[in-house]
Amino acid sequence: MTSKGTRTTALTVELRPFPKPVATMPSSRGVRLLFWCVLGLLVGIPWTTGATTTSAPSAAAMATTDPELERIAAEQHNCLRCHAMPTLAYRSPTDGEIVDLSIDRNALAHSAHAELSCVECHHRSYTRYPHPRRAAPRDFDCLGCHRDDADPRFAWDHIETEFAHSVHARSEAPNAEGFSCQSCHHPHRFRTTQIGDPLTWIVQEHNQVCLSCHTQLISAASASHDWLPNRAAHWDAVRCVDCHTPADDHANHRILAAEDSPRDCVGCHSADARLLARLYHFRSEEDIARTGLIAKAIYNESYVVGMSRSPLLDRLSLAILVLVVLMLTAHGVGRYLVHREHKRSS
Amino acid sequence: MTAHYLYPAWLRLWHWANAVLFVLLIASGVSMHFAGPDWLIPFATARVIHNTTGILLTIGWIGFIVANARTSNGHHYRLHFRGLITQLVAQTHYYLIGIFRREPHPFHVSETMKFNVLQQLTYLSVMYALMPLLIISGWAFLYSVYLPETVFGIGSVWIVAMTHVVVSYLLALFLLVHLYIITTGETVFANLRAMITGWHRDTTPGHDSPQPPRETP
Repeated sequence: MTSKGTRTTALTVELRPFPKPVATMPSSRGVRLLFWCVLGLLVGIPWTTGATTTSAPSAAAMATTDPELERIAAEQHNCLRCHAMPTLAYRSPTDGEIVDLSIDRNALAHSAHAELSCVECHHRSYTRYPHPRRAAPRDFDCLGCHRDDADPRFAWDHIETEFAHSVHARSEAPNAEGFSCQSCHHPHRFRTTQIGDPLTWIVQEHNQVCLSCHTQLISAASASHDWLPNRAAHWDAVRCVDCHTPADDHANHRILAAEDSPRDCVGCHSADARLLARLYHFRSEEDIARTGLIAKAIYNESYVVGMSRSPLLDRLSLAILVLVVLMLTAHGVGRYLVHREHKRSS
Repeated sequence: MTAHYLYPAWLRLWHWANAVLFVLLIASGVSMHFAGPDWLIPFATARVIHNTTGILLTIGWIGFIVANARTSNGHHYRLHFRGLITQLVAQTHYYLIGIFRREPHPFHVSETMKFNVLQQLTYLSVMYALMPLLIISGWAFLYSVYLPETVFGIGSVWIVAMTHVVVSYLLALFLLVHLYIITTGETVFANLRAMITGWHRDTTPGHDSPQPPRETP
């Protein structure tokens, strides 16, 4: 996705969590860094040589002879020569954590940013090695590119405001420090949800983003969400964000705290369920794309268990029931009148 | 006056348990189906009530089928095709016209047959077709996560949901008619009393022996 408006499709789909953006390398620890990088190269080369030589830098570039795309592919290739190695990493001198510098070549090739040169976001010159320590001023500035996006489905100013009010932005928890777009939307993997993507896949991939940080939820002993009937079934079929964001037409970026999230069953299990406007919106579109409007009309409003609504069937059935009540009443009144008449005459 | 012991204790117990379960199932089912308005049972409560009463209804239905197979009550559900159409016409004529002319009932209750042909056809359909469909679709709802995504290209949950809803509406219709028909006995409460005491009394002149009223609920 670029500000030029190429290929921007709806929705926020995220794949895996992004470790805190690391753009620079500490030059003061050059020797130690060199050691780690050489180690990374030694370990990584046997595993990646085949991929480096056989796979193209970008799927898009593979399929085209566009000189611009070829240039981008060449630039990506320059970076990926090192960064495609799965073991490329260094130990942070500040907190001692291993910082992963590797990039999944295939994921990047299928991501929304596949047609971007690396330096579009990583603005600093990378001709020197080790790379410059500090990030350039506009490094990783998502809105720097996306704010002027022409696609009306993205309201970037809204997204910025929503995010500012989200629990992640407002939290004072140490592990929420530095939370940014990339924390959920991994720029090297991110791709938008496409109509036709299986619903279960969407749910799984979206929830994986949340669960990669909220790991305590995965534990079998976790009592979280235990108020939810059939918790496992819900987690398989519903995205975290379907409850943990305000009901909205678009993907709302104001992630709600647990105490602010709805717990009412009716919110989903009713005719105006939020799920219909959100997750199932994609299935609905998928249905239209796959089977046409007639099938959509038949299936309308009947996705959620317990919400077996068919407005036509309801109206017809209730009309029949009312009609029968009226007929029985009339029959009863008739019997009473006959009985009274008989009593009077006898 | 004659009296027939038509409703043994197990049958009355089952009948009234079924009646209570029906009311609870309808109230909770409607609350979930039309979830939202304040005057309905809250969804979370209705879900528990519906699941519990649905399971109890299943147990009751299985008990009824087993008891019907093992006791003489089952023979009331055996359809006799000879003269079926004639009886059907006569019974329909009675309900639509004869009852207003104070004509005698075309059917007489006895211990060998307590249902007129319309009742027999209705109860056969309800107990041996609609109830199993309702119960099977209800359990399929309970375990819908184990259903295949589609059956013959149609969403399986949708099939289950529509079956359950349609059968529920039909059974609600049955209940309405049933409640009205029990008032068409010798007196308005005669049939209701029979289902409480077990004894069906008949004071119709000329039917001193096994010729009590024609209608039973």
